[in-house]
Amino acid sequence: MEERKALIKIKPKSYADGEIVKVDFMVMHPMETGMRKDKKTGQVVPAKYINSVKFDYNGKIITSMNVWESVSVNPVFTIYMKVNGAGNLKVTFTDSTGEVNESSIEIKPKG
Amino acid sequence: MQRRDFIKTLGAAAVIGAVVPAMSFAADAPKGPNAFSYKQALDTITGGKTPVKSEKIHLKVPEIAENGAVVPVTVEVDSPMTESDYVKAIYIFATKNNNVRCVAMHLTPANGKAILGTRVKLGGTQDVAALVEMSDGSFLVNSQSVKVTIGGCG
Repeated sequence: MEERKALIKIKPKSYADGEIVKVDFMVMHPMETGMRKDKKTGQVVPAKYINSVKFDYNGKIITSMNVWESVSVNPVFTIYMKVNGAGNLKVTFTDSTGEVNESSIEIKPKG
Repeated sequence: MQRRDFIKTLGAAAVIGAVVPAMSFAADAPKGPNAFSYKQALDTITGGKTPVKSEKIHLKVPEIAENGAVVPVTVEVDSPMTESDYVKAIYIFATKNNNVRCVAMHLTPANGKAILGTRVKLGGTQDVAALVEMSDGSFLVNSQSVKVTIGGCG
């Protein structure tokens, strides 16, 4: 199973408790539709795309997404989130071949 | 009197090999394996209800996309996002793609703001639609056309 490069960014960098922050989640993934043909071999490249993304904040799922192949290569998902105490934001993503990966970031509100 | 009998022995020449022609059902159907139409998607989600076109949904999509492979889409919905009144789900559709579904996002009041940003592939010039399900069970819809110079599928 391949390790996917994923990145979570929170904007602004410094935030207080109770503030609504922007969360950008980026992942390196080919997002193959299953319709594209390889130019060299002429074979259809099998489908492989992210089909589920879950945002888990301190053990509670705040947002879940179903994703299909119409999303671009190396997808970016932007959501907003209300900071509710220090903790951990974990993103779990699954692809259509059954590959499961996760990425997390620490939430540290100031003041 | 001469008589010659020519006995023609027919060798068993006709050996018919039972060769089954190779099944050549090429998978070149116009629709892909995961085809899903816009109407089908709407019916599945709303269960027959007709969504109301609403200006509450702010759909940010470029009017002209040079590259259909990466088209940024942002959907913002006016909503207080409280326990009693919040946006339950946001769906993004590329109405003429083979599979129109792009993202289905399920929100909770913990989101604070009902915004979904992503990037989609568009196979050609078409409408991008956003369907929103509110916590009271109503459906809102809004769409915008995008002119694509180079398609992004295939």
